[in-house]
Amino acid sequence: MSEMLPMSSAPAEPVPGPLGLYVHVPFCATTCDFCAFYQTRPTAEGIARYLEGIAAEMRLFPPDRPVTTVFWGGGTPGLLAPSALRRLGELVRAYVGDQLVEWTVEMAPASVTRARLEALRDVGVTRISMGAQSFSPELLAALGRQHTREQVLRAYDRVRAAEFPSVNLDLMFALPGQTEAEWMSDLDQAVALAPDHLSTYCLTFEEDTKLWVKLSEGRVKLDPENEDRLYERTWEHLTAAGYPQYEVANFARPGHPCLHNLNTWHMHEWIGLGPAAASQYAGLRAANTADLNQWFENVGQGRRVTEDRVELTPELLAQDALIFGLRLTAGVNPVALARRFPSAQWDRARGVLADLEAEGWAEKSGPLFRLTTAGRLLADAVGEAILTAMDPG
Amino acid sequence: MDVSLTRNFCIIAHVDHGKTTLSDRLLEYTSTVSERMLTDQHLDAMDLERERGITIKSHPVTMVYRAKDGHDYCLNLMDTPGHVDFSYEVSRSLAACEGALLLIDAAQGVEAQTVANAHLAFAQDLKVIPVINKIDLPSADLELCTKQLEDILMIPAEEAILASGKSGIGIEDILEAVVKQIPPPRWHNYPRTRALIFDSIYDPYRGAIAYARVFSGQLKVGDNMLFMGAGQKTEIKEVGIFTPKMAKKAVLSAGDVGYIVSTIKDPADINTGDTLTLTREPAADMLPGYKEVRPMVFCGLYPLESSDYEKLKSALGRLRLNDAAFVYQSESSLALGFGFRCGFLGLLHMEIIQERIRREHDVEIISTYPSVIYQVFKHGQEMIEVDNPVNLPEPGSITEIREPTIKAAIHIPNTSMGDIMSLVMEKRGTIEQTDTLDATRVMLTCVLPLNEILIDFNDRLKSITRGYGSMDYELGEYQPGNLVKMDIMINGEPVDAFSSIVHRDKAPGKGRDLCEKLAEIIPPQMFKVAIQAAVDGNIIARDNVRVMRKDVTAKCYGGDITRKRKLLDKQKEGKKKMKQIGRVSIPPDAFIQVLKN
Repeated sequence: MSEMLPMSSAPAEPVPGPLGLYVHVPFCATTCDFCAFYQTRPTAEGIARYLEGIAAEMRLFPPDRPVTTVFWGGGTPGLLAPSALRRLGELVRAYVGDQLVEWTVEMAPASVTRARLEALRDVGVTRISMGAQSFSPELLAALGRQHTREQVLRAYDRVRAAEFPSVNLDLMFALPGQTEAEWMSDLDQAVALAPDHLSTYCLTFEEDTKLWVKLSEGRVKLDPENEDRLYERTWEHLTAAGYPQYEVANFARPGHPCLHNLNTWHMHEWIGLGPAAASQYAGLRAANTADLNQWFENVGQGRRVTEDRVELTPELLAQDALIFGLRLTAGVNPVALARRFPSAQWDRARGVLADLEAEGWAEKSGPLFRLTTAGRLLADAVGEAILTAMDPG
Repeated sequence: MDVSLTRNFCIIAHVDHGKTTLSDRLLEYTSTVSERMLTDQHLDAMDLERERGITIKSHPVTMVYRAKDGHDYCLNLMDTPGHVDFSYEVSRSLAACEGALLLIDAAQGVEAQTVANAHLAFAQDLKVIPVINKIDLPSADLELCTKQLEDILMIPAEEAILASGKSGIGIEDILEAVVKQIPPPRWHNYPRTRALIFDSIYDPYRGAIAYARVFSGQLKVGDNMLFMGAGQKTEIKEVGIFTPKMAKKAVLSAGDVGYIVSTIKDPADINTGDTLTLTREPAADMLPGYKEVRPMVFCGLYPLESSDYEKLKSALGRLRLNDAAFVYQSESSLALGFGFRCGFLGLLHMEIIQERIRREHDVEIISTYPSVIYQVFKHGQEMIEVDNPVNLPEPGSITEIREPTIKAAIHIPNTSMGDIMSLVMEKRGTIEQTDTLDATRVMLTCVLPLNEILIDFNDRLKSITRGYGSMDYELGEYQPGNLVKMDIMINGEPVDAFSSIVHRDKAPGKGRDLCEKLAEIIPPQMFKVAIQAAVDGNIIARDNVRVMRKDVTAKCYGGDITRKRKLLDKQKEGKKKMKQIGRVSIPPDAFIQVLKN
């Protein structure tokens, strides 16, 4: 582990890393049972305010360097009318500069139309991420999703026809009532469509969701052992199908991992715009007010009001770079991280990493230190162990 | 009053045979207490006693009865504790009497405690008057009761009085028998003042109050008196009798039963069984039968919430004030934090104290495994007594460990004989005698190591006999045993709360059980953790804490990072509340879960 010791003369983060832009589009037609993100019903007035607000916030908060990746999430960005998509796209283009390499937009299958895709293509979007979740009609209905299997297939065809360079499908597993066979069938159907990227999410029960209410009322049950097995089978299956895993929940054909997200996990910077959007920029991690009207009022009056503010010290960034970096299949480069954040508690981190390696949860590969497959199933426990060691206070 | 018109007696019985109801009827009949004043069970003051139908503390009462011979007799009724844990207290109450009513439930017949109590009464040379109670029950079997009286207790059947406390049958017969058959106070001609202390209580204003039976001479306010056993001198501030409330009197004379307030504040300074005399003319000899009461069963008591430590401490202090037989001192445990090592007379005593801490003092507690006092002999040294396995010397230095035994009388249906004999064998006991009680019941007389009955003996006896079995015991001799200390180690570190002294042959089985239970209860860990049972440094059983298989959540994008951090921070804080044994984090209630079982 001696290679992990920081070089005493190494400069701390000499060049700013890549900069991302996250735009939160807070509109949804309905709320899915599992969703805890901030969203609101789309109205003509609300959308107009939103676009005006984004323009105002952009003026308030200009980037200090060109943005390389953009991600529109939500909500359902794809719910905006083509004209609104174009307007938002133009604002973004003017904001980011000329170094953009990836621009992702999340879409719900039900709202994928040719006109919308054309608008997105025209403004320069490079990547569509579609929340399919499942191909099973019963499970889709059980999740409260507003689309059918046919809509997923038709939407996918339209996205492909529009020739975006990269397409992702989101899938969910361990759904109430879902058998292992059903999940493997969902995976197979997704693979058969040959997307460039797949994200698979084990259903989580978050407070303030309809699903949480169902769980607390005993209408759905957790089955942790089944979850273990589904995780393992998913990872094996997708890797074998030509989608190597690169993060706990993410798989991509070579050349197609989501750069925006990778930059996040490497603890680089991003600016978040729109209500509830989180930023990690200029020494501060914080989220915008999670209310469209309040946010609009604030930015209209020239104020950016944020909550959950965390000062980004090198120590905290080093911890997070380890915690989130170890969720990546490639792992982390402790030497490089120690050079980037020399003041962090590397001696303590070294102990935990050695323990993880001794227990078979992690391994070294050249300069990289990564979790084994079994270890990746314990990524949260690993994160907690790292946090406990590096920040015992 | 003429000493020849005084009678001192008590009622002895098995639990639930109707002692308290009968006492109430006697008080009513003699107009000592009006019917309206009688709560259902007058003499049992504590809620817990009432609930369990047993008497823990003795409450004497003085009645006046005009007998058929025309004289007014002064009858002092001593209400004795109903359980063998308090057998010394029982014996002191008996020693303050000349006679006893032996109560037998007409439907139940003679039971284990009936026999034990009758033997205690015979040992004090008391005149025993058998009373068959509840004769108006449809299930009453008088023939069986009289036969058992003769066969088991060797009491002539014709002496038995038929009664029902509930419907007031036979009350006058009983009072007449007390007057006629029980002798007047003994030893009243002894030339010096002597009184027997049979109990004491604490009064916040008057300090320790001694309950005493005067055998000879007089005690009055202003006298300087001497506790002969303790060697302590004090001045009498007040004397009186129980009517049943405390009623001041100028003097207590030979034959009287009453209370004494002195300058002594702490009841721990007054020993039950001690003899009182006057300092100016002290008696030469003490009354017989005095011994210091010693706790026999020990365990650690810990607050469930460590913030309740002070509350527990004050609860123990207050309980101790009225119960000199209960002792405690502070101790700390790796697994359970700060608590107290407590000593009790026996299992019931332990249970009652624990229940009173929970109920009357509102402190949630957890207790460690109970232990007995072992006599440990070391090379060339004097014997030491060990009541906590943690204090056992190095095994190499020990030449012999002796353990206390009990002599148990076990009453069971004869269909359970085989199973109960196996149970006794399993508990390392020997059966010395088998007596037939009637066509369906037998009595086994057994010797058992005390520590073997501490945990589940009584429960198993009850379950094997479907509730029909009963047991009574008295302490027996110490006997050498092949005893070893067994430690439970988690990740190589001994967890003190689980150390125990066990028979060598039983260690592997008990060790396996404990390891298994802990492995089941400790939540899965990220690092391999061994749970081992060790004797003399050798591992005799082992298990592993379950290895965590999955602890991962997806969705860690930009906006989720703060949330994820918060969650990890929260988990980290949660772990701080856990017991850390090496890298193992054990929720505080895991140990409690194991101990509870």
